Amino acid sequence: MNADQNQPRDSRARTPELPPARAAMTAFIDALRQRLRDFESRASLPQELEQTVRQVVADDDLPTRFTRAATSVGLEVHAGSPTDWMDVIADILRKHEAHSVVVQLDTDSPLGEHATAELGNRLTTDGFEPTTVVADETLFSADAAVTSVAAAIAETGTIVCPSGPDLARGASLLPPIHVAVVQTSQLVPDQCDYFDQLAGQAGLPANINLITGPSKTADIEGILVTGVHGPRHVHVVLVSP
Amino acid sequence: MIPARMAPHEARVSGCYAELDVVEVALFVTCLTDTFFPRVGEAVVRVLRHFGCRVEFPEGQTCCGQPAFNSGFHTEAAALARRMIPVFAPYEQVVTPSASCATMVKMHFPELLADEAGWREAAVRLAAKTYEFTTFLRERLDVDIAAHLSFDEPVTFHFPCHAREAYGPEDLHNWLAHGKPADLCVPEHNDLCCGFGGVFAVDYPEISEPMLADRLEDLVASGARLVICNEGGCTLSLAGGTHRRGLPLRFKHIAECLAESLGLMEPER
Amino acid sequence: MSTRKAFRQRVCEAVADERAVHLATWHKMEARAESMRQLRDPEAICELAARIKQHTLENLPRYLEQFVAQVERSGGCVHFAADADAARRIICDIAAAHGAKLAVKGKSMTSEEIHLNDALEAVGVRTVETDLGEFIVQIDHDRPSHIVTPIIHKDRRQIAQAMTRATGCAYTEDAEELTAIARRYLRDIFRRCELGITGVNFGVAESGTLCVCTNEGNGRMSSTRPRVHVALMGIEKLVPRLRDLPVFLKLLARSSTGQPLTVYTTLITGPKRADDPDGPEELHVVLLDNGRSELLAGEFAEVLRCIRCGACLNACPVYRNIGGHAYGSVYPGPIGSLVTPLLQGLDEHAELPRASSLCGACRVVCPVKIDIPGLLVRLRARTRRSQPLLKRVAMRAWKWMMKSPTRYRWAQWWLPRLLPDCRDGWFRGGPGPLGAWTRSRDLPIPPKQSFRKLWRERLSDER
Repeated sequence: MNADQNQPRDSRARTPELPPARAAMTAFIDALRQRLRDFESRASLPQELEQTVRQVVADDDLPTRFTRAATSVGLEVHAGSPTDWMDVIADILRKHEAHSVVVQLDTDSPLGEHATAELGNRLTTDGFEPTTVVADETLFSADAAVTSVAAAIAETGTIVCPSGPDLARGASLLPPIHVAVVQTSQLVPDQCDYFDQLAGQAGLPANINLITGPSKTADIEGILVTGVHGPRHVHVVLVSP
Repeated sequence: MIPARMAPHEARVSGCYAELDVVEVALFVTCLTDTFFPRVGEAVVRVLRHFGCRVEFPEGQTCCGQPAFNSGFHTEAAALARRMIPVFAPYEQVVTPSASCATMVKMHFPELLADEAGWREAAVRLAAKTYEFTTFLRERLDVDIAAHLSFDEPVTFHFPCHAREAYGPEDLHNWLAHGKPADLCVPEHNDLCCGFGGVFAVDYPEISEPMLADRLEDLVASGARLVICNEGGCTLSLAGGTHRRGLPLRFKHIAECLAESLGLMEPER
Repeated sequence: MSTRKAFRQRVCEAVADERAVHLATWHKMEARAESMRQLRDPEAICELAARIKQHTLENLPRYLEQFVAQVERSGGCVHFAADADAARRIICDIAAAHGAKLAVKGKSMTSEEIHLNDALEAVGVRTVETDLGEFIVQIDHDRPSHIVTPIIHKDRRQIAQAMTRATGCAYTEDAEELTAIARRYLRDIFRRCELGITGVNFGVAESGTLCVCTNEGNGRMSSTRPRVHVALMGIEKLVPRLRDLPVFLKLLARSSTGQPLTVYTTLITGPKRADDPDGPEELHVVLLDNGRSELLAGEFAEVLRCIRCGACLNACPVYRNIGGHAYGSVYPGPIGSLVTPLLQGLDEHAELPRASSLCGACRVVCPVKIDIPGLLVRLRARTRRSQPLLKRVAMRAWKWMMKSPTRYRWAQWWLPRLLPDCRDGWFRGGPGPLGAWTRSRDLPIPPKQSFRKLWRERLSDER
């Protein structure tokens, strides 16, 4: 261990002024090593996981599997195309009588870097109040949020929302209605595929949420209630080419 | 004429048992069965003989020590293991009507004596040749249990938790479901502890009691009156609870059912 | 009151009362079974999960080092807490360093283990539970009774009363309305809080990622809204690689509640980046030992595989009848009967491993294949000296009697003559252990002809 381990290597880190825990940590790990020194490790780390664990293969009809899985966990899935995806979104918002809408579409998403502006204009025309400001004032009071996703998992009907530049975590959490726009090209078959992809990434975002349904609880006498702290309604617009 | 060295199942099919290749078996009857359910022991002997075994009963046997082992009294349990091993050493196979006692011998005797050279090997040898009754019938004698069972009333079953190493609730279900006539009333919960747990029943009666009540309720709700239960401890507990509450349930070991179905013993009412 | 008496008292109070737990646990068992059937080979996945966990535990120093380095590389800060006291101090110091007065908590059994809330309140930090069940436990000054569904023992009326008392809202027993009230109340708190504390389901060594699995969204709120996020994690929660996560994710929610996945699977790698619009400025991971390392090289190491799914509680007939509070500990149920004595003192909690019929229902459902009944027996052997005197004497007597066929036969001869025939071949009541038996059952008087008599008289000669 280097003496300067205490200095943050990442210039974006903010290490606070606290008593150094490094010595305690090192001592503990060394003590643990001593304790395990005579213990022969018998369990090897399994390398082949996929064969046992995989549920969905790439050959499967991913949009259909995704739709089925997502619907079964309470997501509402709507089919869309490159020409009508904005109509679909407007319809969803209208049905919920939503007015103020936070729009957060990643410029890197397959929708293209102008998608946010396009959707914003369209929603304004339709009488909604869209905003791209992602701060407490908007997120806490907005009726709905529209976001892109980084991926979607067909096996479980999961949508993946990472944090990033201009991607607030609160967008998929604070407003009571969340509309996620997913391209079929973003679908991966199984959780194995998603985590393999993640493992291959050069650096992970600070926060990734795998969202599999609306916020819910059954704490009160086992009765299912949605919209506890997160959104009550989660819609997926599944855009096929 | 019967060819010499005919295998037991062939003899069974052709109906000739007189001169086949006899399987020698020592009966490990268990202290509970010996004391409370001698009829089960008799049924085991008769069924084994029917399928071509010569059955011996080593008189030196007492208790396998399971109550002591489960309670954590391993010194005492080891002493009883060391006692039991020589009693059964001269025999080729050992058969017991109790799956929990079979597990005690097969899994825990070697564990208890792991640090004692000589005893460890002897325990492993005994473990290898000890069988729970239905396992012996199926695996060593090639007997299709379901094919030989017949009932003249609806039947249900209690799966004894400690039989898990020998067979599962699905096995018990299948044997009974395919017996004749197939009138199996499956309990709502086919795998639910009766609350016996050996010393547990007298150590924690306040917990054992509601567990017993749950199990009896389940069995009564099945609609059947005859309960197949292959474990002496469970039967003691369930039958005792039944009698206390005046419930219309009767308990039999599958060995008794087989013996009765094969005409080897008079049905007990 | 001795621990033995205290335990029995809690049990007696509980048994009278636990229909809610009965229904809920059966329901969860069915949901779990249904959900596991959807997997192609659930047993094989459980074997994999068990092996990955076992391997990680056996190589923990290496993975800890990797994890710590990665968390720091991503901008987080790692603290080591040898025991509960150290953990409380570290977290209170972090709160003090930031002048935090309002903290929110996502559900964390580890935080209950170290009694964190009391420590924070004592230094002036108001600590609000945000998981709905834990929130209700908090406002009702109660204790959780299940590691996944903390208010499994409460009915709507009790919850409604607590809610009105704590928030001043209009009385309602409607689950939707109660939830909406809690949501509004807690949303305001989420806006203002300065410190967020969560647990961690899995810590990934290769990337320093924390995986937090929740359903309500409060875990996300607690790790996103405040400036400072403290993640409290037992050292045994590590897994080696990101691709190990799906093995556990495919089992955790199914085992807990029958869902394929929890609603939110949150992967946290460091505090917010400079250009993230929201998220905590600081991430502090507090690694907790508190007795776990003692178990690592010993015969009880496999209890550390536990992923806190709660399946064993739902399967256990003892838990079903006595509920969670009777265990007198943060971790109830079968796993609690092991973990509590092992981490918090064998003598004080010697009753717990004994209060089991060893039925094995827990082992059948455990997704990481912990041999709970086998370990309970070992723990009983370890605490043999604290067994009641009567029991120790009785076991010795049993051994003495069973060592000799003569004495055995003699006992057999005596037994039917000792037990007076109260009713047609059945015995109804007696002292000591017999009385414990006859509380709820009769005992059949043994037949005069035991099997061995029968053998001698009839069977041995027949062929």
